[in-house]
Amino acid sequence: MIDRSDDAARARFFARVSEAVGARPTKRPAPEYGDAIAFAREVATNGTAEAGARATASDSATAEERLARFRERLEAAHGRLFTDAGALISWLAAQGARHGYCDPVLAPVFAAALARPGAPSLTLETELERARIDDYRFGITRAAGAIAETGTIIIDDAHTSRRLAALAPWIHVAVFAPAQIHAHVADAIAALGDDPNVVWCTGPSKTADVEGILIEGVHGPGEQIALVV
Amino acid sequence: MSTNADRHPPDAVDRFAAAQGDDRRAAVRLGSKAGHEKRTEILFRDYADPDELRRLAGAIKQHALDHLDVYLPRAEAQLRAHGAQVHFAADAVEARDHVLAILRARGALGVVKSKSMVTEEIELGPFLARHGIESIETDLGEFIVQIDDDHPSHIVKPIIHKNRREIANSLERHGLGPYDDTPEVITRRARAFLRNKYLSADAGITGANFVSAESGRLVLVTNEGNSRFCLAATGCHIALVGIEKIVPRDRDLGVLLNVLARSATGQQLSVYTEFLRGPRAPGQVDGPEEMHVIFLDNGRTGVLASEYREILRCIRCGACLNVCPVYRQASGHAYRGVYSGPVGAVLSPLLAGSDFATLSDLPKASSLCGACNEVCPVDIPIPDLLLRLRDRAQRAGTTSVSADATPTVPPGAMTAWAEVATRPWAWKGALATGGLMNHLPQALRPKPLRVWGQNHVQAPWRGGAFRKWLAQRRRA
Amino acid sequence: MSARGAVNQSPPPRRVSLMATCLCDAFFDDVAQATVEVLEHLGCEVAFPEDQTCCAQPAFNAGEWDSARRVARHTLGVFRGDDAVVVPSGSCARMVDHGALLLFENEPDRPEVEGLAQRTWELCDFIVRGLGVTRWPGRLKARVAFHRSCHSRGTRYAESALALLRSIDGVEVVPFGEGEQCCGFGGTFSVGFPHISRAMGTLKIDHVLAVKPDLLVSADSSCLMHIGGLADRLGREMQRQHVAVVLRDALKSSGTAA
Repeated sequence: MIDRSDDAARARFFARVSEAVGARPTKRPAPEYGDAIAFAREVATNGTAEAGARATASDSATAEERLARFRERLEAAHGRLFTDAGALISWLAAQGARHGYCDPVLAPVFAAALARPGAPSLTLETELERARIDDYRFGITRAAGAIAETGTIIIDDAHTSRRLAALAPWIHVAVFAPAQIHAHVADAIAALGDDPNVVWCTGPSKTADVEGILIEGVHGPGEQIALVV
Repeated sequence: MSTNADRHPPDAVDRFAAAQGDDRRAAVRLGSKAGHEKRTEILFRDYADPDELRRLAGAIKQHALDHLDVYLPRAEAQLRAHGAQVHFAADAVEARDHVLAILRARGALGVVKSKSMVTEEIELGPFLARHGIESIETDLGEFIVQIDDDHPSHIVKPIIHKNRREIANSLERHGLGPYDDTPEVITRRARAFLRNKYLSADAGITGANFVSAESGRLVLVTNEGNSRFCLAATGCHIALVGIEKIVPRDRDLGVLLNVLARSATGQQLSVYTEFLRGPRAPGQVDGPEEMHVIFLDNGRTGVLASEYREILRCIRCGACLNVCPVYRQASGHAYRGVYSGPVGAVLSPLLAGSDFATLSDLPKASSLCGACNEVCPVDIPIPDLLLRLRDRAQRAGTTSVSADATPTVPPGAMTAWAEVATRPWAWKGALATGGLMNHLPQALRPKPLRVWGQNHVQAPWRGGAFRKWLAQRRRA
Repeated sequence: MSARGAVNQSPPPRRVSLMATCLCDAFFDDVAQATVEVLEHLGCEVAFPEDQTCCAQPAFNAGEWDSARRVARHTLGVFRGDDAVVVPSGSCARMVDHGALLLFENEPDRPEVEGLAQRTWELCDFIVRGLGVTRWPGRLKARVAFHRSCHSRGTRYAESALALLRSIDGVEVVPFGEGEQCCGFGGTFSVGFPHISRAMGTLKIDHVLAVKPDLLVSADSSCLMHIGGLADRLGREMQRQHVAVVLRDALKSSGTAA
């Protein structure tokens, strides 16, 4: 339902913008810049340019190096990394998180891990019921990728079976492959693609609104896990 | 139109600072200082030359502003192409009416809101309440402000002025549990209370930190997960966006995101950075089926046309507040508006339009130290803008003088001073006789000298001594 | 003759004009005096145009730009010529080389204002980057707290002053907390917003005295006037000196009389 008066309002709006833009004598051209400036460089304690260049070069070189960098940054943001479903399941059980949601596509992987002798007993639902949202202690979903530079997990609508599963439970497990890790923020921007809802998650949700004291687990998860397999 | 009741004494900010309780002043000072130190630490850790980055980010935003007539329609076209509905609101009234129309069409009775300065500018919450729609703030700080009927005092840390005891009392008063001032308990209680609100709300309302003209993507930068929940739990997303948020290309977002969180909270990135292009994808159960973007003018085109245009570069990081010695002493409420600190001192009087006079004291509440520009991630020349605003206030004769207060240095004092400072004989005469001022009893001295004398032991008058020495030296 | 960037080992006698500043004219004759002595020691011939009054900053900061332009034009006329203009104040130097450009943005005599801006130097900056002198003779045994006044932002003034101070035998420059925070003077701000100004100044005094310096030094008399006057009002002991006086006194200690 398009209201005709909207067209007139839009035209007036744009007329004002054009007039305002035209009112100033000088206009700044688009700045040209290379990729280097968009990358943060860790400057070593001796602060030399060589150390900075080394850091920039090394952390984009190989998939192993990107994974190592991703792990370091994820843990600095108080996230956790697992490279084996069995180890993750043991950790979940140790947290007392024995019931949660799992993306049906990933369920066979976890079913296999749970079936191993000595595995703890966890129950997984592959459908999320909104009315019982607080029943799910954890949510396991697929990620679209990650960013090594910042320890960020990238999720989107295409890969996330249910948005609420990646958000509401206390523990969120994001599953992705090492090859999906981008080196830098700039690379991840270039790879945004077509998805209407790309979310970069860097550690568990947090606030420092109360006297500047850091508290984790506000509205989003209190534990952000990456399972890289 | 402003009335005399809207006028404030020219030293209103100073009086506010003086009247403030010690607890509050300490909370603001320590919170600001911590924010500033974290920003400095991470920027110098991660970049060999943070100033180069600030200048680049500033150039990107200035370019966007200077070509907004090209980039705004581009953003609109992209958003429409990806299924979002785009509206344009000239002012607060139109913006509120757009929001109401969208909500009425959905039969909405309750909305959840993520933090947005623009929604505060247009006073959306009270407006919706008057129309029978409950609007709940979900950012923890804004939630506390809402239940307290208070106002935020910092653009990033809304309750920087409150301590845990005050917050615990607020929660108790509003039935969220018996007094407990443990920060973790406070946070968990808010989490539980707000979760119910998300899941029963009919729409989610957010702002946006940036909009890319290249892809139409809105970028939301948060830490708590509240904006994600506003969108994931409801079927309708309404984003209110000031036109100055437009950025030319996606890759420019990379630069701006690298400076925003570092400047605001000392993080590489905030916990959540959302890139939103349209309603939820087909096959996704959760999330909005309808996405509306309302672009807002509300005085921005006026600023864009003016010599103060650079202030529109602001990306709302709060770094200028954190470093400002006046903000640290006065706190955000002293600025009497949605935007406080150095950015507020420029933006608030400008967005007030014809009510400029009611806020024209704000640009004077500054020692022009320049720390704000030094930390600004988009290199806004704030002190120059403050000086221009002082010129504007003086030319228009619009000082915020209320009936019962004149400024310590009254308008026109400089005219008299200029008479002397352009006549060497008068200047030398003043040097010779200025010491007589010290012989006047305190009560008879001109007001500036009296005020100076309250805080200082006056330096001895030595008018003419240097010139005499030099003349003798030249003769020798 | 290009005014900037010349680094000479033994500078020939060079004529400079002194802009003494209105504060030195009224209160701090010792600072202006020391500036003359220091410049002459460096081999400069110092001219003092007698008709000078003020750089116009007070009116500029107050937003009274018509009055400011009148006074600035007077100053422009007084310092007409080619000489380098040297001023013992960062805030006045910034007014001439930055503030005036804003003030005269749309004025027909803007080119003249730019001309003066290009040949005006803050004192320490002139010594270090104008004359290429980086070591100062003499001896001064002192813990020095250096206050970087706000007008040094975006310039090399503070860097130059610190280089000279640190090169004096016996001087130890000690950092103090929140050094980037303004002292609270800000011209008419100090009387228009007296409570905040006082609070800022008190914080500055607390931080400086916490490191127990022998001397607070600055390249701006205005800051020292505020910090010093407030310290006196509060009954706190605060020895303070302008950098020009420190440099001049160091010369005396080395027996290099001006």
